[in-house]
Amino acid sequence: MIYVEDVSKIFKLYRHPGYRLKEVFFKKQYHKKFTALNRISLTVNNGETVGIIGRNGAGKSTLLKLLTGVMIPESGTIKIDGKITGLLELGTGFNPEFTGRENIFLNSTYAGLTREEVEFRLDDIINFSELGQYIDEPLKTYSSGMAMRLAFATAIHAEPDAFVVDEALSVGDASFQQKCIARIKEFKDKGGAIVFVSHDLNAVKVLCDRAIMLERGTVVEEGDPEQVINAYNRSLSKQTDSASAGDETRQNCYGNMKVVIEKLQLLDEDGKEIKVIVSRQKIKIKFYLAIREDIGDITLGILIRDRFGQDIYGTNSNHLGKKIKGISGERKIVEFMIDDFFLGAGKYTLTAAVHTEATHIDQCYHWIDHACSFAVVMNADTIFSGICDMQAQLKICGKVT
Amino acid sequence: MNVNPIKRFLKGRGTFIAELVRRDFVERFAGSILGSMWAFIWPLVNLFVYIVIFGKLMGARLPGSSEINAYGIYLAVGLIPWTCFANTIARTTSVFLDKKSVISKVQISLPSLLLFVNLSEVVTYIISMLILAVFLACNGFEINPRLIYLPFIFYLQQILALGIGTLTATLTVFFRDLKELVGVIMQLWFWFTPIVYVADILPPTVKKILLFNPVFPIIESYQRIIVFKDLPETHIILWLTVASHLLLLVAYKLFRILEKDVRDAL
Repeated sequence: MIYVEDVSKIFKLYRHPGYRLKEVFFKKQYHKKFTALNRISLTVNNGETVGIIGRNGAGKSTLLKLLTGVMIPESGTIKIDGKITGLLELGTGFNPEFTGRENIFLNSTYAGLTREEVEFRLDDIINFSELGQYIDEPLKTYSSGMAMRLAFATAIHAEPDAFVVDEALSVGDASFQQKCIARIKEFKDKGGAIVFVSHDLNAVKVLCDRAIMLERGTVVEEGDPEQVINAYNRSLSKQTDSASAGDETRQNCYGNMKVVIEKLQLLDEDGKEIKVIVSRQKIKIKFYLAIREDIGDITLGILIRDRFGQDIYGTNSNHLGKKIKGISGERKIVEFMIDDFFLGAGKYTLTAAVHTEATHIDQCYHWIDHACSFAVVMNADTIFSGICDMQAQLKICGKVT
Repeated sequence: MNVNPIKRFLKGRGTFIAELVRRDFVERFAGSILGSMWAFIWPLVNLFVYIVIFGKLMGARLPGSSEINAYGIYLAVGLIPWTCFANTIARTTSVFLDKKSVISKVQISLPSLLLFVNLSEVVTYIISMLILAVFLACNGFEINPRLIYLPFIFYLQQILALGIGTLTATLTVFFRDLKELVGVIMQLWFWFTPIVYVADILPPTVKKILLFNPVFPIIESYQRIIVFKDLPETHIILWLTVASHLLLLVAYKLFRILEKDVRDAL
């Protein structure tokens, strides 16, 4: 059982390390305070896995460091029933000059095992790590995945009562990851308490009984992993929103402004403005256009790009066979409707343009790159991998005779 | 100092510290063909230099002695403990920085790191002293009851080194220049201690200042016991016993106060 109550961690930031010393002797404050964790309380029962998610700098790693005793909290209490081991970043205290085997001994000693206890487990550890003959090669020759495998194997075989897993797991290949996850589950079933930190939200969903979302050192969301992950996704899109809205939006536009896109909105079925689209949802993109000159037919187009800037999908009124008349002084509302938004999870941007004919090459009235950005998340019913849902069907045709 | 907290501290950490010491030797000679044989080769070479080069070839003589090996033995008797003392302080000073990668990833008791460096140097010292003992025995040195003082003198020496080391190790984390500064101070300190020379050649004023050098009575005791067949000066040793333990206590308290910051700063 891991028991954390009202724990705060404050880092003192000094302009120069010498100031720290000066402070001790002169009783004057020379530092700025940075609160990495602010009054966190958390209980992980035996046989329970708690996931911790949050943006970079939210305090996840600091919390793990406090749990493993690498750092000491400013205030509050941390109690752990029994021994805690884990994977903090890569190669927890490995010495690159030593062989894998020697590092097992060294690392297990840190975890409080005697030589005999390590010898007793040595074969299990080596087998689990799948290192084979490489176990007697120096660690510096290992790939990061191999080092991680060894670290995980050593840590889990130290028979801890509590276990923490940091991002490290993501280094291993898929099959080893699955093996680790199976082993973590086994550990959990035996009554171990686990704290799991990851940016892999799916892994959190699969492994954790509960999840906690940290933001700027405080717990902002706690409970069912699904619900916490949704909250996290929401906060992520808010973040990109506020960062990009002001500057990015209007800078990337050009055209002769004979027609102006005054406003565009991403709406759900009920006409409510949204920033996060759930995959397979029904959406609308609503445009407000102001036409300033008589220019005949105009074409309105949209283009969805992924986070690498690759075009994912684009269409326009010309392709769709609709005509929009350009009459001076008129203002028009135009909507694109997408009944089944089947893109995969990720961040996307929307580019919008008004021009003549099918393309913007002849005359471009108004083109806005990154007119808005949005995130796509998956819900539990529509899980698939990749960028789009091809809606495959499955038929089981019976036994081969 | 109370014995109980030490016992409590060592319980469970004993194997850990022992493993660290063992590792230290393996680590130091990792990848070399002769391995831990080097731990014996070095003191042998040093002893050879003291006895043969200084004593025989350069003809350095100990004042008031005509024996050909006397100066070499005098030198070895002072240098072996000094080397142990100085290395302990130097390595303790930087132990937190050297083991940074471990400290910031695994739960590890920092005092056991301080202790492990000390013990590791003790092992080196014992090897050197055994080699010297063999040499002395071959030269007709007689075993006598004065030798009983040696372990205690050595214990004092390492307690003093541990105290100073705890202090410098803690402060070096915040003030990295200290590592270099300690090197410089140790160099000056060495020449301010009668190891290669005898105290008698110093002018009276310098000799008075020498009384404030805490290593002087330690080295002098070694020289008295082994070379001059004399007893250590009891009252100075007593005074030093109190002082070195007090220093260790103060250093440890300071370390405890700053431990949180030490871990943060690494």
